[in-house]
Amino acid sequence: MPKLKDHHSHLIQLRRELSGGRLDRRGFVRIATLLGIGATAAYSMAGLVAPSVATAQGQPRKGGRLRLALRLGDISDPHTYSWGQDMFARSALEQLTITGVDNVTRPLLLERWEASADLKTWTLHLRKDVKWMSGREFVADDVIWNLKRALDPATGSATVGLFSGFLLEQYQSGGTDASGKPKTSQRLWDANAIERVDSHTVRLNGRNPLLAVPEHLYHKQLFIMDPEDGGVFKAGSNVTGPYEIVEYRQGQRCLMKARADYWGGGPYIQELELIDLGDDPNAHLAALASNQIDGWPWLDNVTLDAARRLPNVAVYEAQTANTGAARMRVTEKPFDDPRVRKAMRLAIDNTAILKLGLGGLGYEGEHHLVAKVHPDYAKVEPLKRDIAQAKRLLAEAGHPDGIDAKIYLKASPAWEGQVVQSMIEQWKEAGIRVQMNPVPAAQYWEIWKKVPLGFTDWNHRPLGIMLLGLCFRDGGAWNESGYSNAEFDQILIKAEGTLDAEKRREYIAQLEKILLEDGPIVQPIYRSIFSAYSKKLKNFKMHPTNYNYYKDYWIEES
Amino acid sequence: MTRFILRRLASALFTMVAASLIVFVLVEASPGNVARKTLGPFASDEQVQILYERLQLNDSLIVRYGRWLGIITGLRADPLQNPSLGLKFHDRRGDRYVGNFGFSTMMKIPVADVIWQRLANSAALAGLAFLVIVPLAIAIGILAGLNAGRPLDRAITTLSTVFASIPEFASAVLLMSLFAVWLGWLPGTSPLQAGGFWPIYSQFVLPVTVLTLYVTAYVARFVRASMIEVMATPYVRTLMSGVVVTEVVFAYPGLGRLLLETALFGDIALIEAATLIAVLIAVATQLAGDIGYMLLNPRIRFA
Repeated sequence: MPKLKDHHSHLIQLRRELSGGRLDRRGFVRIATLLGIGATAAYSMAGLVAPSVATAQGQPRKGGRLRLALRLGDISDPHTYSWGQDMFARSALEQLTITGVDNVTRPLLLERWEASADLKTWTLHLRKDVKWMSGREFVADDVIWNLKRALDPATGSATVGLFSGFLLEQYQSGGTDASGKPKTSQRLWDANAIERVDSHTVRLNGRNPLLAVPEHLYHKQLFIMDPEDGGVFKAGSNVTGPYEIVEYRQGQRCLMKARADYWGGGPYIQELELIDLGDDPNAHLAALASNQIDGWPWLDNVTLDAARRLPNVAVYEAQTANTGAARMRVTEKPFDDPRVRKAMRLAIDNTAILKLGLGGLGYEGEHHLVAKVHPDYAKVEPLKRDIAQAKRLLAEAGHPDGIDAKIYLKASPAWEGQVVQSMIEQWKEAGIRVQMNPVPAAQYWEIWKKVPLGFTDWNHRPLGIMLLGLCFRDGGAWNESGYSNAEFDQILIKAEGTLDAEKRREYIAQLEKILLEDGPIVQPIYRSIFSAYSKKLKNFKMHPTNYNYYKDYWIEES
Repeated sequence: MTRFILRRLASALFTMVAASLIVFVLVEASPGNVARKTLGPFASDEQVQILYERLQLNDSLIVRYGRWLGIITGLRADPLQNPSLGLKFHDRRGDRYVGNFGFSTMMKIPVADVIWQRLANSAALAGLAFLVIVPLAIAIGILAGLNAGRPLDRAITTLSTVFASIPEFASAVLLMSLFAVWLGWLPGTSPLQAGGFWPIYSQFVLPVTVLTLYVTAYVARFVRASMIEVMATPYVRTLMSGVVVTEVVFAYPGLGRLLLETALFGDIALIEAATLIAVLIAVATQLAGDIGYMLLNPRIRFA
């Protein structure tokens, strides 16, 4: 098998792209690290200085308790986390890789990885110094069990959508669906697709090339659990991470304690206490103001100004690809007609929605989820608001008098309601009469893949293509709209396996155009995200995905 | 006297049975069948049909009501725990015990695991408020009654009307802004977690004050009109309605906040349990009030 490190063909090509100006320095670092080059070396090759652990905020101090306001629902199945359990589970369960605030992916439970020249074979070398809390050594079988479980469609993990072109194949699972088509499912394309090389080496043998394997391994559901826990996570479960969960009272409180025998750096803060304050942003603000909590990771826009005025609190912001989109289920009338879906997009003025719904705290969406902050973004002609064309398309689709629909959304956070309300007002002009149906957040995640019209928020991902794979690939667990387009899927597979930045961008442009014409979403905005933390928390850096590693921060009482 | 108490007990029991029937019928009559509600509004028809048959939902309403009562009283096993249904419902108490309200679809745990702690929290809040309200309302009412027509009476009456007219959520936000955000004297929420420099007792101050302002003002007006001829009922009824709002605003982990969240979610088992418990409290306090009134009033005792 040709190894990248043997001939460095991709690296030579990357350096050529860098010197030719077709790839910027950060893009070079990102891709070079994906190919297995160490982050420090990659930064140096690009003429940049790697971010240092030493900070301007002094030396780490051990001790203290950090209290955070977060919703505390069911945490039992990490491979299917959807509503934000990962926000704190990340401090106990770990992943094979980690994408930092600089958008560069590094090994976490891995020591390093190697990619074959054709990007089809990835060899993952595990760290040898990692031990489970129980004292057992972390080994290849742990990784294989977790990967196989997450990639089994029966588990219901969205990981399937990310790896489906690479490690999985579609097959007819027997019987027919409601429309008479044979039912299909996905399975590993080869018995050796996930191969145990030795006790600390796992090899992924792909069917197609895939460049973003290390980034996909950082998918928020791909936590490494102890197989002996049988896929059930709870207080006391075995972990490799810096904290263990010692108490979990759903809807109320979670207490995590630092592990003295953690294999990595930190943790400095000795206890993390998570408190569920419900959905009311005012309660969160009051708790912050009176020092009952030290952090509110998902600061609600409606309380932004008030939070900024609190003397004890620092507000952090990240410009991200965090977004919200109205998605139409393509199997349901009237959204089964692409003309109706396009009319929904044409009736919207994204700039106006940004202003009305978000108070300008973000930038315009483009109806395809690939954002300008993504390194693989391709600029295509954006859709402009065109009421006449929207009405014409509706009429052609058999709706000369417009359509009526009900949109489901979460009752909180408040920005979602404001964005949807703004969209509803704009849709009216094109004869699209939409009624708002807010439901509690927990209930929304029960129905988000089922309602004909829903508004779903999507967290930032380091690559736009990751979202395309998660949301629009046929059969993906997070393909909430039921979108199925063979041409789209084929181009997506090609894009995923292309290293050449220009060529890859061409594929992405094709995918974006398909979504503008035929796609299942109306995506008016990207939003900045905000967190509020007590000023005594040091070394905090806002991650664009809000994936925080509390082990790296410390508390400095003034 | 014994006959009086027995009559009241029978009446309370009848009220409970009637209330439980109404709760059951209302939940059953809300859109969608129980199988659909258990599995969520967008489960496939096939899944719903299987559960519908397994739960024998085709039987008459009264048969189903009887079965439901049987499960709550521990006489029947809860069919939802049958592993063959694949719902993964597991209760460490087994499938047959007194107070088995089934499973919360929102929290994915047995109702009994969550409801009693929440009830205890609400009872603590209401009990503390009650301890403050009763003497305060009586004192204010008597003071106003003794000074009927004088400036003090007019001042008390005016202030009572003002406080009784301010909804709890408004006074809660006002007090929170003043004492928690501006002055920093009190914690702004009441999650009942110690930590920082806010001990748990301090987290009761604002919610209890909100309830006290509202209920005292309301009850003091009764006291003024009839001096001490006031039973527990107006306190309790007013207090219970105030508790829900207060718990939500202060993120207090009580039954009221739970009831609101489960009602919004459509979690039928928790709605039924929380409602029945609320009715039980109302009936029990009414009963206690009646008996207390009888002991105090010889005209009733010897009638």
